[in-house]
Amino acid sequence: MAAAAASAPQQLSDEELFSQLRRYGLSPGPVTESTRPVYLKKLKKLREEEQQQHRSGGRGNKTRNSNNNNTAPAALAAAGPAAAAAGLGVRPVSGDLSYLRTPGGLGRISASGPESPLGGPGGSSAAPTAGSKVLLGFSSDESDVEASPREQAGGGGGGRKDRASLQYRGLKPLSAPLSASEVTNSNSAERRKPHSWWGARRPAAPELQTPSARDGAAEDEEEEGEDGGDGDPEAEEPLWASRTVNGSRLLSYSCRENYSDSEEEEDDDVASSRQVLKDDSLSRHRPRRSHSKALSSLTAKSAGGRLETSVQGGGGIPMNDRAAAAGSLDRSRNLEESAAAAAEQGGGCEPLDSSPIPRYRVNAKKLAPLLPPPLTDLDSTLDSSTGSLLKTNNHIGGGAFSVDSPRIFSNSLPPGASVAASSSLRINHSNHTGSNHTYLKNTYNKPKLSEPEEELLQQFKREEVSPTAGFSAHYLSMFLLTAACLFFLILGLTYLGMRGTGVSEDGGLSIKNPFDETFGKIQESKKNLMMNTLYKLHDRLAQLAGDHECGSSSQRTLSVQEAAAYLKDLGPEYEDIFNISLKWILENGKDVGIRCVGYGPEEQLTNITDVQFLQSTRPQMSFWCRFRRAFITVTHRLLLLCLGVVMVCVVLRYMKYRWTKEEEETRQMYDMVVKIIDVLRSHNEACQENKDLQPYMPIPHVQDSLIQPPDKKKMKKVWDRAVDFLAANESRVRTETRRIGGADFLVWRWIQPSASCDKILVIPSKVWQGQAFHLDRRNSPPNSLTPCLKIRNMFDPVMEIGDQWHLAIQEAILEKCSDNDGIVHIAVDKNSREGCVYVKCLSPEYAGKAFKALHGSWFDGKLVTVKYLRLDRYHHRFPQALTCNTPLKPSNKHMNSMSHLRLRTGLANSQGGS
Amino acid sequence: MTTSQKHRDFVAETMGEKPVGSLAGIGEVLGKKLEERGFDQAYVVLGQFLVLQKDEDLFREWLKDTCGANAKQSRDCFGCLREWCDAFL
Repeated sequence: MAAAAASAPQQLSDEELFSQLRRYGLSPGPVTESTRPVYLKKLKKLREEEQQQHRSGGRGNKTRNSNNNNTAPAALAAAGPAAAAAGLGVRPVSGDLSYLRTPGGLGRISASGPESPLGGPGGSSAAPTAGSKVLLGFSSDESDVEASPREQAGGGGGGRKDRASLQYRGLKPLSAPLSASEVTNSNSAERRKPHSWWGARRPAAPELQTPSARDGAAEDEEEEGEDGGDGDPEAEEPLWASRTVNGSRLLSYSCRENYSDSEEEEDDDVASSRQVLKDDSLSRHRPRRSHSKALSSLTAKSAGGRLETSVQGGGGIPMNDRAAAAGSLDRSRNLEESAAAAAEQGGGCEPLDSSPIPRYRVNAKKLAPLLPPPLTDLDSTLDSSTGSLLKTNNHIGGGAFSVDSPRIFSNSLPPGASVAASSSLRINHSNHTGSNHTYLKNTYNKPKLSEPEEELLQQFKREEVSPTAGFSAHYLSMFLLTAACLFFLILGLTYLGMRGTGVSEDGGLSIKNPFDETFGKIQESKKNLMMNTLYKLHDRLAQLAGDHECGSSSQRTLSVQEAAAYLKDLGPEYEDIFNISLKWILENGKDVGIRCVGYGPEEQLTNITDVQFLQSTRPQMSFWCRFRRAFITVTHRLLLLCLGVVMVCVVLRYMKYRWTKEEEETRQMYDMVVKIIDVLRSHNEACQENKDLQPYMPIPHVQDSLIQPPDKKKMKKVWDRAVDFLAANESRVRTETRRIGGADFLVWRWIQPSASCDKILVIPSKVWQGQAFHLDRRNSPPNSLTPCLKIRNMFDPVMEIGDQWHLAIQEAILEKCSDNDGIVHIAVDKNSREGCVYVKCLSPEYAGKAFKALHGSWFDGKLVTVKYLRLDRYHHRFPQALTCNTPLKPSNKHMNSMSHLRLRTGLANSQGGS
Repeated sequence: MTTSQKHRDFVAETMGEKPVGSLAGIGEVLGKKLEERGFDQAYVVLGQFLVLQKDEDLFREWLKDTCGANAKQSRDCFGCLREWCDAFL
């Protein structure tokens, strides 16, 4: 039957062809002139499969349903599912690549695959070689149409894809070499990718003209994204991640193709393409799944195992080719180190996979499924997870590899980076991954300063934990510092306290020493007695003094009589010694702790009779008293010190203030001088042409023209300085006195002899200069996506002088959008290299109007581009914009920035007239 | 799967009299080939797509035979037309 039917298909009439196809279960469309060859091929294929089926012993004789992509699963039903799997590997020879694409059957078949080797092993072992060769040739065939750079990534990717699917078909032994070649291919592709990607895209497809170059580039990128990028999302990730920090760079690349945040577009795309892609992706799932299974069996790696655990839900089925490629790469790579990294990231991936993918996690998911390969449970959730996978796949598909989604990548990086890394060129890019994390951290640290404001949100979300940790760390260090200071303070005080007690010991000693010298003649007994007397006296006096010092008593000294009385109380013998002791004290020049004082404070005491009071030089105070005194002393000293420091600071600040003020004034003066010179020069030129004008200008006139009346007072000083400066330094201007209209005026005369040599084209600054290209659908989004805009290339921060230029920029924007009453917030990022200005409008419609007015215009010699920004990110960056509701207007009616446009168009802008 | 600019442009509105080169996946070379075969407007290719009952394999096969499109190009073109049909048909 088959043979008969197979005979001379060319002679089949349309009707016969039709019926033949029907027999196979197909419901073909009209067989017409153009569809005939297609249907013929189809028929041939069906027949071959049938034969295969017969040959293999009539496997499940499932008729193959219509091969509509809509029924990809049905395709599996095809005869000899497993056979088809292997057979299809050989099939490529027949050139029907579509089956390779929709090995949906393969996937499904894989489930039953193991049981039905059917000539698969035998055939497949042979087929693989042939198939692989064919596939290789096929993959390169794909890319032959494109330029070479593309084939590296595209071909590599495409080849990978097919090889991957092929691999599943039991080419285990072969997979290694395949993957090896794959890897090298992808290696080179990936390595080249960062550099050549952008550049290569341009010169690439020769068939793509410049107009479509963008598209071509976009297509290339996307193709590469899904094909080439599949296996090496990490190659992209780290690079792009590192770029995300300087998001502007990446964005500038990508904005050629995409003029708005990719996420905005993806939103729409995802929604619309979900349905469309559903079936398509489903068919693609199978091969990947099967491939992953094959890989898993191959991969004995712990990495695989770990990845597997992490990517349970969604990972089960690699969404698309990437997984396959990744898996193969992973296998061949044999990287253990990444396994660890993957493991830790795996946990992060898990929640991502299972949840409905929020858009900005799309890429995370995209990466996560890469890990998929390691799934070992073949029968797992094939059908159950299909639904969710489809959804996720669609999300991924929708939000996937837009090139200009650095932030997406950056977001997915942390969870997915190492994951992807594990699956791809880890060796080459492990250092990239490392740098990624630092980049991300750094990005957080400088949210306001760096370019990637778009990635800010992801990074913020991820790094929310760190700020609190950092805070406590900061406080901890401060606390430690203060504790140390306190400790030393206490130590000092205690020491001071100790000194008080320690001193008294010395007193005793010092008393002892001089004994031998001066009182040698005194007898021993008397000596002791005297010693005791002195001690007693000393103690009494010290106590008294201590009480006095501590404030409890008012008397510090002990009169001689009182001392004598005290001694008498102690004992009769002390009294006699008293005089001798006094004498000794007097004659003893050293400080023994007792001081003899006369009536007057400065009286010189020569005789003991002069001595009236005894005073202790070393008061004995209680510890608490001492401590208190010490503390007070210390605090007083500290206070003085602080005061001193504060004084110094104040003085410094004042000086700085004065200095800056002076600088400012000087600057203003120079600005004024420049303006005056310009005025004079232009006046001179006007005079050259118009002989009626006087070649000089009165100074007051110049002043009035340059300084606005409200500023007159403020600028008076500046003006005077400028005038003096001109008089002293400017040689091209001469000051003279003239009589104009009967009054004497000081005038300036411009005396540059040859005006031509000095004729510099006065380039207007900060004016709009027209539109570069007409805004059509190709270079602008069809509808306004968000109310926030990012306007690029409005200025060059290094070229700007002065402090108020950002106001001029804001003015310019407001004037350009003067018909748009919906701008509520403008922020000029003065530090951005790209000259970015952020604008928020009341609603997306207003933003769209502003977009149309600004995008593609020339301003100050630079081409301005506009992008849409997400509202939440905008608010995150500019919280003050949350409450802005009032439309902004230009501050004056002069419309200075529009002057050139007015001149050009010849008619004043409707709102521009001043 | 992400879409190209061309795709998005095509799918965003009715095709009207757009040339065949405006289809995603169809560049200059392929476009010329298609035109030689008589498919000079995008709607003619659409017609073929519909005649083949929007079947992916068939259409892509046909495209490959007609102008030598490779896998990616045919996939892009197919996706583009399918989406267009979903939106406008």
